[in-house]
Amino acid sequence: MALTRRTMLTGTAVALLGSQLPVRVAFGQDRVVRFAFPQDFTRIYTFVTSEYSQGQRDYISLINGRGGVGGYMIEAEITDHANDQPRAIEAYERAKAQGAVLIDPLSTPVARALVPRVLQDQINMITAFSGRSDAADGTAFPYVLPLTPNYWTQAGLLVDYFKQQDGGSLQGKTVCFVHIDTPFGKEPLPIFEKLAAKEGFTFRAFPYTPPGNDQSAIWPQVRRARPDWTVFWGAAVGQTVALTEAIRNGLDMSRVSSSVWLSESDMEVVGKDQTVGVMKVEPCVSGREPKIIQDILTEVVAAGKGAGSEDKVGTSYYNYGVMLAALMIEGVRRAAEIAPDGPVTGPWLNAGLRSITAYDAEGMIPPTTITPEDHQGGGFGRIARWDGAKFVPQTDWFSANQDVVWEEIRKYSEEFKKTGQ
Amino acid sequence: MFFRRAGISHTRYQDERQIWPLPIDRYTVLVVLLLLIAAPFLIDRLYIVSYLLPLIIWSTAALGLNLLMGGAGQIHLGYGAVIGIGAYSSVHMLRAGIPFELAMIGGGLAAAVIGSIFGAAAMRVKGLYLAMATLAMQYIVDFVIIQFPAISGGTQASLPVPPTTFLGFAVEGDKVPYYVALFVCAVVTLFMLNVRRTAFGRALAAVREKDYAAQIIGVDPFRFKLLAFWVSSFIGGLMGAVLSVCFYRTIAPDQFHLDLSIQLVAMVIVGGLGSVLGVFFGVALILFAPILLNQTIALLADQFGTTLPMDLRAHLPLMLYGGLIMGFLLIEPLGLAKIWGNIRNYLLVWPFRHSRQ
Repeated sequence: MALTRRTMLTGTAVALLGSQLPVRVAFGQDRVVRFAFPQDFTRIYTFVTSEYSQGQRDYISLINGRGGVGGYMIEAEITDHANDQPRAIEAYERAKAQGAVLIDPLSTPVARALVPRVLQDQINMITAFSGRSDAADGTAFPYVLPLTPNYWTQAGLLVDYFKQQDGGSLQGKTVCFVHIDTPFGKEPLPIFEKLAAKEGFTFRAFPYTPPGNDQSAIWPQVRRARPDWTVFWGAAVGQTVALTEAIRNGLDMSRVSSSVWLSESDMEVVGKDQTVGVMKVEPCVSGREPKIIQDILTEVVAAGKGAGSEDKVGTSYYNYGVMLAALMIEGVRRAAEIAPDGPVTGPWLNAGLRSITAYDAEGMIPPTTITPEDHQGGGFGRIARWDGAKFVPQTDWFSANQDVVWEEIRKYSEEFKKTGQ
Repeated sequence: MFFRRAGISHTRYQDERQIWPLPIDRYTVLVVLLLLIAAPFLIDRLYIVSYLLPLIIWSTAALGLNLLMGGAGQIHLGYGAVIGIGAYSSVHMLRAGIPFELAMIGGGLAAAVIGSIFGAAAMRVKGLYLAMATLAMQYIVDFVIIQFPAISGGTQASLPVPPTTFLGFAVEGDKVPYYVALFVCAVVTLFMLNVRRTAFGRALAAVREKDYAAQIIGVDPFRFKLLAFWVSSFIGGLMGAVLSVCFYRTIAPDQFHLDLSIQLVAMVIVGGLGSVLGVFFGVALILFAPILLNQTIALLADQFGTTLPMDLRAHLPLMLYGGLIMGFLLIEPLGLAKIWGNIRNYLLVWPFRHSRQ
């Protein structure tokens, strides 16, 4: 390209105009608690994030519409980090500079990378269904709060449910575990192995290569292993592919299960009728029955303030978002009870979050108690089955195998305490 | 006008052959260096820790890849894995109590050895086949890191970097990591600027242009390709150590996946193959354009009160970003460095346009 006077002048003019765009938005309000939700809208979790985030934003609108909580309004900054770590770190540092006291990245790699920063800066990081499982140990990770049953607990719940279904014993049964071959997918392995030794079932693991678009080589092997129970463990696209392959290989859907990462959207992709019977772990009530969802429908969505399309309201991931936002805001309420006049800082909110007691979000979630030691909230969940239209709970809220889970949590958190600091 | 050439006459060969023959260039470099050194005291810490620091680290790493791609003409799609090898080796060395200065070199050596072994195997093929062979290296290294808990750090697969010091300064907080990265960057940049003026650099250029022609004039292509792999892998490994200690502080396999490799290749190509300055431009564009576009879109949406759905708001910057890269490459296929070169040439003789060729 040859430069002429004209291109040169236009270029200079554009550069001058561009430099006038202010990059940072300044807020200035009293009695505001700032949350930062940099999440992955565009790379891997895509629709998962957008449904989850919609729930979070609708719940925050609901609370703000009622005048806030404990005298504080909630302000949430939502950005896209595309699961890219430099971008996520930029988003985190920006949030910190703007005074955010809580961050929810909803991404295992990002959450793991941010751990040293949040511990140092004393900013609360919510790692619901993501991040390090050993963060359940609040003594090692004071500012990392999963607030939800971690993957080890989910594995423990599933094995316990299988045991209940098989008449109280898994002796001589075969449990197959099909998982994405990443640290996230391998995470539940130690729990399954320990429980296999304890309960006497045969445990077989089948890893597939990420991102899991093609699992056709794995599932015939699963079929040949003649599993009594099959658990598949992945994220986003891997989940629908796994289900499709399970159906193609003729596995009995009523003996196939996944973690919390299975939703109505996945069922639509695979086929609502073909997947009848498949199970998942439910951390909260799905559907529109809970009072909070009804309130959102009347006070937020009907008022035209909904964050997204109305038909997503009440879907699994939407409700996860509501659940987490409700827990965060309960934390703010508790913090305002402990120290009504703030100042709003990370430790202020941390004290609130770690004193949440028997909070059930008006019946939407199992009674959750967060303590400085237990950031998992007791590890309650329930098993639900897909009936062709919705997930139907099969059990009441229950917790199981926490001894094995905590043994594993402590093993890694002790190690972190020793080497991390 | 700005880059006045009139009145500057070099009377000795070494004057003509300086890295920066024009005084204005030397002053510019000096001013930029001084600004970089003073930056932590001049601008907000946010811009140091999340803009300047990654810019410096990624640029230095991309310089290593640039030597291989722009200097020796060998494509490498596994450079992220090379950085990963450096990161993991150095962090394991740090955890074993070896000082950072040595661990950094150690990480570089480990990456150089493994990178060259793959390089030697990959050297049997050229062009697209080489791209595939190096891609295989990326996947093998990813696989090894994930499959061996002893390397990746257990089921959590995240390895914290222990506190360490560099030349007596504790590498913590905002300033020291920045200066460490800046120091390494300065050393590597000087090396890159000088390498093309050496016999090694000229041999690489010969191999890049046509390897059998190089062989005819007595340059052993295999040897020099391998050397290029060695040097660039060493720099990659070195930067893996700097990246983990100064920026990430906890390393995980996801940080060194194919994404990083592709990102680095894009940086080198958008910046301008073979250009040292271009690498810095390319890194700035690829790292920061998505962030800045996101903020601009969010700001515009807020200012004009339009409620963009979050999905569109997240994807619009991506579309613009793609357009931006294509636009830059359409306007100037030789990269951002060439755009800079054009501006410079324009200003060299401004306002006497007629004196340009």
